[in-house]
Amino acid sequence: MKQISLTFAAAFSVAAAAPDGKQLFTTNCSACHMLDQMVVGPSLVEMRSLYNGKPDDFVNWSIAPQKKRPSVIDMPSMVHVGEEGLRAIYAHVMQVSKGVTAKKQEKGDPYAAAPTHLARPQVMRIFMPDAGPASIAVALDDINSLCWDAGACRLRYAWTGGFIDGFPYWQGNGSSLAKVLGTVKYTEQASPFGKDAAVKFLGYKVKGGLPVFRYKAGEKMVTESYSPVSGGMGFVRSFSVVTTAPLVLDFPDQSGVSVTADKGKLAGGKFTLTPAEAAAFTLTYSLK
Amino acid sequence: MKTTAFLAWITLSAAAFGWTEHFTFENIATPPGMDPQVGAMDCMPDGRIAVAFHRGEVMFLNPTDNSWKLFATGLQEPLGMLVEADGSVLVMQRAELTRLKDTDGDGSADEYETVFDDFGMSGNYHEFAYGPARDTEGNLFIVLGVASNGAPMAPEIRGEFSEIGQVDFKGMITRETWGKNKNTAGRMYARVKWRGWVLKISPDGKKMEPYASGFRSPNGIGFDAKGRLLITDNQGDWRPTSPLYDVRRGGFYGHPASLVWKEGWNGGDPRLMDVGKLDAMQVPAAGFFPQGELANSPTWPVIIPAKGFPEGMAGQTVIGEMNQPNLVRVLDDEVGGVFQTALIPMFDGSPLGIGNNRMVFGNDGAMYVGKTALSWAGGKGITRIKWNGKEFLSLEKIKALPKGFALRFSQPLDSSTIKTLAVKRHTYQYHQAYGAPKKNEELLVVAGATLSEDGMTITLDVEALAERYLHLIDMTGLLSKKGEKILGSKAWYHVVKAPK
Repeated sequence: MKQISLTFAAAFSVAAAAPDGKQLFTTNCSACHMLDQMVVGPSLVEMRSLYNGKPDDFVNWSIAPQKKRPSVIDMPSMVHVGEEGLRAIYAHVMQVSKGVTAKKQEKGDPYAAAPTHLARPQVMRIFMPDAGPASIAVALDDINSLCWDAGACRLRYAWTGGFIDGFPYWQGNGSSLAKVLGTVKYTEQASPFGKDAAVKFLGYKVKGGLPVFRYKAGEKMVTESYSPVSGGMGFVRSFSVVTTAPLVLDFPDQSGVSVTADKGKLAGGKFTLTPAEAAAFTLTYSLK
Repeated sequence: MKTTAFLAWITLSAAAFGWTEHFTFENIATPPGMDPQVGAMDCMPDGRIAVAFHRGEVMFLNPTDNSWKLFATGLQEPLGMLVEADGSVLVMQRAELTRLKDTDGDGSADEYETVFDDFGMSGNYHEFAYGPARDTEGNLFIVLGVASNGAPMAPEIRGEFSEIGQVDFKGMITRETWGKNKNTAGRMYARVKWRGWVLKISPDGKKMEPYASGFRSPNGIGFDAKGRLLITDNQGDWRPTSPLYDVRRGGFYGHPASLVWKEGWNGGDPRLMDVGKLDAMQVPAAGFFPQGELANSPTWPVIIPAKGFPEGMAGQTVIGEMNQPNLVRVLDDEVGGVFQTALIPMFDGSPLGIGNNRMVFGNDGAMYVGKTALSWAGGKGITRIKWNGKEFLSLEKIKALPKGFALRFSQPLDSSTIKTLAVKRHTYQYHQAYGAPKKNEELLVVAGATLSEDGMTITLDVEALAERYLHLIDMTGLLSKKGEKILGSKAWYHVVKAPK
């Protein structure tokens, strides 16, 4: 019992002892560096291979880190730790990594075959290329997919081939975009409701896995839903617009796609509908 | 030889008094093939545990047989969840606060209703969104993280861009020149709307009030048992160590990037303001988690319910932690109307491990801990923690006194051990740099320690408490009357206001 008290008494003193490398490592480094695998930064095992016998290089790097790995977030300077502290961290890193081998990094997406990833159709919110940050990727079926932007409330593009590879995004903290797996066949330059229409996204319903987007464009309440062209390349886009005046929408002609409408008049890049027609109409996009 | 034997004995005795003697730690199997990083959790009215995963699935865990049921898919980085009385689920994702509804009663969500999305997105990875927390009137509070200069903004943003800052829009979106621009962009930046702000949203989602500013990476928001809005934040620039805040309307909580969105702001780039001025503006933290010792990246606050955990802890707040293998228990105190806390490790030295991102209590009184990493150090999966009903020695209450502290314990103490109590204190420098070392660290002389008649309260006499100092009360040497060690042996009390 007596011995225990002595031990504690020693632990309590705040003598200006040599810096504790382990403690400094925990405080300053452990959020990003693990022993045997890369997390935000390299593992301690890798640091050992880089810096063993080179404490000065380790200290210099820690004080003024540079960009070395293109896909890795830059390390902040550890100048506040001080040289003596950095040397203590160096000693700690070299000591604990001695004789340790790095864990094999899994290549590719370990969860690529998750049932929720394989589901078709599906709606997936993720950072997408060539679109706003509030975008939604939609797999209509095994072949047809599209990107719908919930910020701008509009279709951005449609592609054929596979769906997306979200692993660049999911493997980290969102610093990379998802990849489109396929060929973009159709890109829409602006909302059919006009470039400057004030929009407000209201959400979506899911019917059989397919999305029914709801939003306001100006004062008009709009629902916009998507389904695949069965057995082919393309998609069916159904609108319901509440309006008391005739509706004139922008649909500029584009190569690579032919569009047919079940109602209204589609000519010269404009699409005109009566209020009754606007309540439910469908456009079919055939992609080449 | 003698030393070895002695050390072995110490280890054994410590193990015999550890958390595992009183709690079980059970890993729950997550759905096969799915990324098991947990972003949000809550308990359904029927007792199932709702879990939102990193890749956007919301699933219900049945705690009686550990089976899973898929409810919703395709959400982006859900980091907060609130189950409603009718079984619909509010989820905060990157782009919006969403209500998931099962309108056809088939057990899965068919409506993803946008409750609130009137805030900016720069496309920067660090703009995480957290919440909601609900007050007694049904208002919803969310808090938005700021962007990191680890990456530029995306070429396309949502919402307005603030011109306040040293780098213009083009410079903020250009990857090729980011290496140069990042140094003047600010370590963390808020160039799109309401980044770094707490927003109060009316129950119908139609009205929003910018409620409080000054947040950095606030990965924890919730009301405590007394109705205080608690928010945790992460150590970093302008954050000497991770803070816990008692958030009030109109308050500024220390990280200046958000100030560009303050109504009528004309202070220029807040990053370049006089530090003393900013310091005078900020509301002091109600608690501090010392970096490397208690928590590096604290997470969500939850309230310990009336049943399941020891009675003396009911109503207390517990906070998760990403980098240290423990949770953190909050002990309240109030001095002259100012809420301030002592923070204590919980489950330190247990099999819990790191990555403790979200917690929720089930109707059965068990605590579920959901883990994540998001490529930082962390963990994955779910740990269920149950108390076995065996009492133990712990600190239950703390009260600041003019010259020390009153400490109330869960069990009578061995009076011969109270002289082992030690008190240290230090403060921190508030500055733009990333983190800060301890400043003015000193060991206080314990002038006296007296034990109450029932053996459960120590009055610790040191000296006048210092405001804005973090006081460490080291209780490692305490033993209960039965000879058992204390669980949670260090308490860090942040004195905002010292009692006179």
